[in-house]
Amino acid sequence: MSDKSSPTRGGAAAAAAFAVALPLFFCARAIAADPQVCAACHGPEGNSVIPTNPSIAAQPAQSITLQLFQFREGNRKDPQMTPMAANLSNQEMNELAAYFSKQKAAAPSHKTSPENAAAGPKLARQFNCVQCHGPALLGLQHIPRLAGQQFEYLRTQLRGFKAHTRADLDGNMTAAAEVLSENDVEILADYLSGLTPSRD
Amino acid sequence: MLPASFRPLVSLSSALACVLIANAAQAQPPAPPPSWQQGRSAEQEKSPLHPFAPHLAGRAVKDLPVNTLKVPAGFKVEVWAEGIPEARSLALGDKGTVFVSNRNAKNVYAVVDRGGKREVKTILKGLNSPNGIAFRKGTLYVAERHRITRYDGIEASLDNAPEGKVVVDGLDPQNQPGHFWKFLAMGPDGKLYYNVGAPGNIVMPSYFQAAISRVDPKTGAVEEYVQGVRNSVGFDWHPKTKQLWFTNHARDWLGDDSPNDTLHRVAKKGVHFGYPYCHQGDTLDPEFGKSRSCKDFTPPTLKLGAHIAPLGMRFYTGKMFPAEYQNNIFIAMHGSWNRSTKQGYNVTRVTFDAKGKAKMRPFLTGFLQDEKADPPMWGRPVDVLQMRDGSLLVSDDYNGILYRVSYKKK
Repeated sequence: MSDKSSPTRGGAAAAAAFAVALPLFFCARAIAADPQVCAACHGPEGNSVIPTNPSIAAQPAQSITLQLFQFREGNRKDPQMTPMAANLSNQEMNELAAYFSKQKAAAPSHKTSPENAAAGPKLARQFNCVQCHGPALLGLQHIPRLAGQQFEYLRTQLRGFKAHTRADLDGNMTAAAEVLSENDVEILADYLSGLTPSRD
Repeated sequence: MLPASFRPLVSLSSALACVLIANAAQAQPPAPPPSWQQGRSAEQEKSPLHPFAPHLAGRAVKDLPVNTLKVPAGFKVEVWAEGIPEARSLALGDKGTVFVSNRNAKNVYAVVDRGGKREVKTILKGLNSPNGIAFRKGTLYVAERHRITRYDGIEASLDNAPEGKVVVDGLDPQNQPGHFWKFLAMGPDGKLYYNVGAPGNIVMPSYFQAAISRVDPKTGAVEEYVQGVRNSVGFDWHPKTKQLWFTNHARDWLGDDSPNDTLHRVAKKGVHFGYPYCHQGDTLDPEFGKSRSCKDFTPPTLKLGAHIAPLGMRFYTGKMFPAEYQNNIFIAMHGSWNRSTKQGYNVTRVTFDAKGKAKMRPFLTGFLQDEKADPPMWGRPVDVLQMRDGSLLVSDDYNGILYRVSYKKK
């Protein structure tokens, strides 16, 4: 309606948005499948050094593609990731996912508190984390690795699932997080982020 | 600092609080398992079996062993279209548009054939698990988790789809995990048939669940058609008898070989096919079947195999395939996860002898690579669609690909 009532203003706004978006579009387009673009925020080889950003190194390839797809299609929203994924083709998503899945996971910088290191394994069983993410919490196929993931990122995702605001493929994570207390979320995030990603 | 006289009270109340917290911690029920693990026994707790999710962005044909697919002599299988995220149910438009749905991608896609080159268009976005699609007389019907909508004249405006009109809403009042994506097909009576599955692996359903229902698109009036159907994700009507036939998924976690997934025929409205009391017509459920008899339920026409996951099915009425294929059924077997040795991952042909006895024969195979591997397959058939020329399209949600099977007389 407002577009029709003020075509000039709408047109000007659209033109301005276009002018800003255009170079971004071409820029993103030209280097879309360059892993270095991802590494700028997700860290060297995908090992994040920013607490709010997830590590994507050594994540199962299918789990990376799934999230890129969800961002591109608008099913999962994030101010940084939504525009980054917007112009990726299916093939580019698969290539980026394959690249980062083959990178080595760095040792976690997070230090779990001794209490949570003791309480964490029990909670991870009680709340079914290990049932889908695997006994070593390394993920499998479309399910991400949690061991050694960034603390702040894990906590935000768990809170999001609990609040039904985080995109969920099949409802399993929403159902799993719904029953967590805020304290459980804190313990799990502290425990998981300090775990060394290893099959031993 | 509190006055001394208050201190005993404070310490008493904090002691009480401690007791309350401790009680609360003890009383806290164990977290429910993920819905796919519901009904698992204590001995199965360490089972490595788990469901498989599709590659949502699809995979490129050049990276896949499509040349290992096998069809009977005289038949040919080829890739017809790719790049259709999580391609599941198929519907054919009057003008030849192939509509493709999915469970997780929230979009409905259309594939348009332009002189042998196929273009994939996203026609509807942001839907709630739009697994069910059906086409009749210019209208595309879409069954989402909670409602069925109609898109009139859609083939004339694929780039700018019309606003959907609601046929029926409120089909999912509980919004809980479970088998609530829908299959949709229009019957010979002009009504839309859809399933509402069971709310878990083995759970007592409520009145509208574990049933196939139908809605009159003219009035929006809903009636339950048959009951006791755990999860049907494929049905079609016999070309001659006009009876409804459907595939059904049996429960998990009762072992590798039991119970069978099944093929059913509906002789009359209102029958009950057994869930959750009786499986495959002859096996009582260890929990819900204790005080029941399988005699009280309608048995299946054919046992298809345990955990084989039959999805889309259609009777073949085309002119391209040999005459003995007339009125045979093609069933897309999505393939097992809840089985230590995997099976399925193919398109199976069901034939009938003179007495009407049904028999399964392999038709399109080769997706299953290693029955012990995780994952065991490189592709998963979901639905079959007979094209106007009599060829058969097969959807593969794992890769986002449609295959075409054709026949040429030698």
